[in-house]
Amino acid sequence: MARTISFKEAINEALDQEMTRDKSVIVMGEDSIGGTGSPGEDDAWGGPMGVTKGLYGKHGNQIMDTPLSESAYIGAAIGAAACGMRPVAELMFVDFMGVCFDQIYNQAAKFKYMFGGKAETPVVIRTMVGAGINAAAQHSQMLTAIFTHIPGLKVVCPSNPYDAKGLLIQSIRDNDPVIFCEHKSLYGVEGEVSEESYVIPFAEANVMRDGGDVTIVAYGMMVGKAMNAAETLAKEGVECDVIDLRTLSPIDMETVLESVENTGRLVVVDEANPRCSIATDVSAHVAQQAFKSLKAQIEMVTAPHTPVPFASTLEDIYIPSNDSVAKAVRKTL
Amino acid sequence: MSDNPFPLSRDELLNIYQTMRTIREFEERVHVEFSRGDIPGFVHLYAGEEASATGIMAHLREDDRIASTHRGHGHCIAKGVEVKGMMAEIFGKKSGVCGGKGGSMHIADLDKGMMGANGILGAGAPLVCGAALAAKYRDKGDIAISFVGDGASNQGTFLESLNLASIWNLPAVFVVENNGYAESTSVDWAVACDSYVDRASGFGMPGVTVDGTDFFAVYEAAGEIIRRAREGGGPSLLECKMIRFFGHFEGDMQTYRAEGEVDEIRAKRDCIKSFSKTVTAAGVLSQEDLEACDTDVLSLIEEAVSTAKAAELPTEADLLTDVYVNY
Amino acid sequence: MSKISSTVTIGLVANPFSARDIRRVISNAASLQVSDRANIVMRVLSAISTCGVKRVLMMPENGGISSFLKRDLLRKQQLGDNCFTELEMTKTPINGTVEDTFASTKAMVDSGVKTIVVLGGDGTHRAVAKVCGQVPIAGISTGTNNAFPEYREPTITGLAVGLAATGHIPESVAFTLNKLLCVKINDGERSDIALVDVVVSTERYIGARALWRTENLRELFVTFADPEVIGMSSIAGLLEPVSRNDFGGLHVLLDDPEVAKNLLQVPIAPGLINTVGVQSWQQLKPGIPFTLRQSSGIIALDGERELEFGPEDTVQVTLYEKAFRTVNIGACMRHTGQHRLLVGAPLELLAT
Repeated sequence: MARTISFKEAINEALDQEMTRDKSVIVMGEDSIGGTGSPGEDDAWGGPMGVTKGLYGKHGNQIMDTPLSESAYIGAAIGAAACGMRPVAELMFVDFMGVCFDQIYNQAAKFKYMFGGKAETPVVIRTMVGAGINAAAQHSQMLTAIFTHIPGLKVVCPSNPYDAKGLLIQSIRDNDPVIFCEHKSLYGVEGEVSEESYVIPFAEANVMRDGGDVTIVAYGMMVGKAMNAAETLAKEGVECDVIDLRTLSPIDMETVLESVENTGRLVVVDEANPRCSIATDVSAHVAQQAFKSLKAQIEMVTAPHTPVPFASTLEDIYIPSNDSVAKAVRKTL
Repeated sequence: MSDNPFPLSRDELLNIYQTMRTIREFEERVHVEFSRGDIPGFVHLYAGEEASATGIMAHLREDDRIASTHRGHGHCIAKGVEVKGMMAEIFGKKSGVCGGKGGSMHIADLDKGMMGANGILGAGAPLVCGAALAAKYRDKGDIAISFVGDGASNQGTFLESLNLASIWNLPAVFVVENNGYAESTSVDWAVACDSYVDRASGFGMPGVTVDGTDFFAVYEAAGEIIRRAREGGGPSLLECKMIRFFGHFEGDMQTYRAEGEVDEIRAKRDCIKSFSKTVTAAGVLSQEDLEACDTDVLSLIEEAVSTAKAAELPTEADLLTDVYVNY
Repeated sequence: MSKISSTVTIGLVANPFSARDIRRVISNAASLQVSDRANIVMRVLSAISTCGVKRVLMMPENGGISSFLKRDLLRKQQLGDNCFTELEMTKTPINGTVEDTFASTKAMVDSGVKTIVVLGGDGTHRAVAKVCGQVPIAGISTGTNNAFPEYREPTITGLAVGLAATGHIPESVAFTLNKLLCVKINDGERSDIALVDVVVSTERYIGARALWRTENLRELFVTFADPEVIGMSSIAGLLEPVSRNDFGGLHVLLDDPEVAKNLLQVPIAPGLINTVGVQSWQQLKPGIPFTLRQSSGIIALDGERELEFGPEDTVQVTLYEKAFRTVNIGACMRHTGQHRLLVGAPLELLAT
């Protein structure tokens, strides 16, 4: 049975259902419950954006608050995963990855390989990404590319509530370390989500729109921009394919290539900074593997090579907009 | 009837001796093979520190987990990782315990509860918090032990882990193997509070210092600490003061050590010599028992080396395997 | 013309490693931080320098006390506070073992120190007493049980020591003679001393040294039995108090609590109250060697396992009176108050 719920509620539901199904799924993070040790109410926060609210009431000690100590608790989640648990740890803002990155990219990512196959690290690290709420430079980054670069990690970034639930459940059931990126500006967005448990497999991009003239590839919040641009362009007689990558590692290049082989034109929209990003990655692969199909240069729509600014006027320019996507499409025509 | 004053049976004591002797001969042999140029990469040898690993691991069961430092051969052997597999791994062979893909610095065997030597110092401490958390959920009295050196004890990961283990009351034990040198830097300079016990109490857990070259002192202290952790009494820190015979890594000329320092410690502070002296003086084991053991150990090491040398190297097909469970 | 040189030297042995053993885990023993130990030394130094003492000879160690001191003294110097005595280390080795204490104390005695201030537990005091000869010692408790040194504010200890060492207080007031126990195995083949207690346990190996399994205790000899103190000697203190000044000590026969005649609740370690089985006790007369009844086991000296012995060994324990000297801090300060020694101009060294 499908009904309309928000992106944030979809994530909560995924966690709730998996924690019920499997007691080895434990959730931890700063203020994930909120109020531990404090005199007021338990479950005071349920995470900084309320995503995990209510889980403590239902699942008790399967969810725990952590001290302000990413190295230790992200590492602990990874260690527990290597010992048979299925932890879901929250790295509150992806911008904090600097203080615990070693545990993620040198430990979790490499155990299976370094230890000759014997280790399995089924950990999920949920983390908030993206700009749009004036959180400024150290709380608004889109660092998907950095994780994608590391062999051994999987990187997921849903664009809507339905995908969020299915991809999170898949992430929890996956036996490799997964970085699950939740765009903070999407938490309030609503969509149709089935009540029952379901999974969306990795490396299956979603063709949101069939068009035939230009391929627009996007992920996360940029999918919405791409769809809006496509609508505007349709009025101009340009029909776009819009592809939501859903997972960045593993990535579904086949769907992208299939579309480009048909349209001959590619625009990649990526909220991250322009150097060494998902945009450059997809562009390079398409240029290499579908060169003969290309009828125009590949266009990338990205943030500028700057930190995320604070003022609304500046942040609005920083984030790729419907217009900038449409403009890029027109450049390929 | 042979009168045994020790808290271990005669056979257990012989086993202890064998473990320490195996570590010693393994490291001494790796030193030789490395100097011949047959071993790739970096190795960090544990010779001289055997009493610490052995005295602590003597209390562990297979379901207990440990995470080690870059100097992990001793911890591996004491935890029961197969010696031939270890030697093959150090030589980078496919039959190695990590398929030749980890090497000395990442040597591990999760089946034996050894979560790996680690090239990143201090990285094992949070992992052990995780292992201890998992043990708490399993509720079978299992524990997890993090070994760090005096140098790594300054890493944020280690200090954060002490805090986390305390507030979550984890069945974890943190062992600081203080051999006085972090690579070439003396602990006298690098550790501001000059005492790991002080650090432990700063993070809400008891700390104990013990002579790491005295097997029985380590065994007894570790026994109490581990028992406490198993029974829900929470984490503790154990500082083992010891000495390493070799340099930080093989190739280290050790010019930061005083002249004659290594010769003196090999002569006067050899933990295996003092263990042997104690057990033979008490009449529990004889010189012949120990020598027979030495012979067995040397032939095991010899076999391990010749098997490793003759073994196959991994191939191109092995390069791409085991990055993921499935991709 | 006074023979005394213008430099009265006081010795200082500060053990950075006391209060670090397994009792932190099996009882609620404190572990005094290195920084606090250094602070105690600073307190003693400032008090001593008020008394006109210009030179302190200290045991070198790498447990952190001297590094804290160096930092602290440098900071005080930067702030313009130069009134501290000159602090010098003995030129003796640092091994991090009790050998360091022996070597350094001997060096202090050889260089003519007037008194030795000791920061440590019972073990440290024992080590110093072993080699200090007639040089009086002033103890400051920084160990686990601290049965031997009295609890005192170190600043006062420093003042008393400074005044005594500079001859402002008559020796008959300043110094006290103390009892000690001597253990001899096979007529001196091995021997050692204890300042407070000698305990025989059925345990057979030294291991982690500390003693807490009271069911294994079989014999106890004490120089004094103070009921206000914790540790092995409290067994005696709670049966028949004997002060440091009383004639003789106490000898107690113990057994497994399962079979013993009497059971006694004893504060054996900080926060740890265990049951001890008591069979009988009697006065321990000085000068008379007592042969152990236990045929084999471990002898603990001042609460730490030290000597193993077997059926082929003959072990004798003898109490000696007036064996070594301590500074009587209380008497020194009372004398100081009564004679207003600290009133007026800064003190000069007196001829003796």
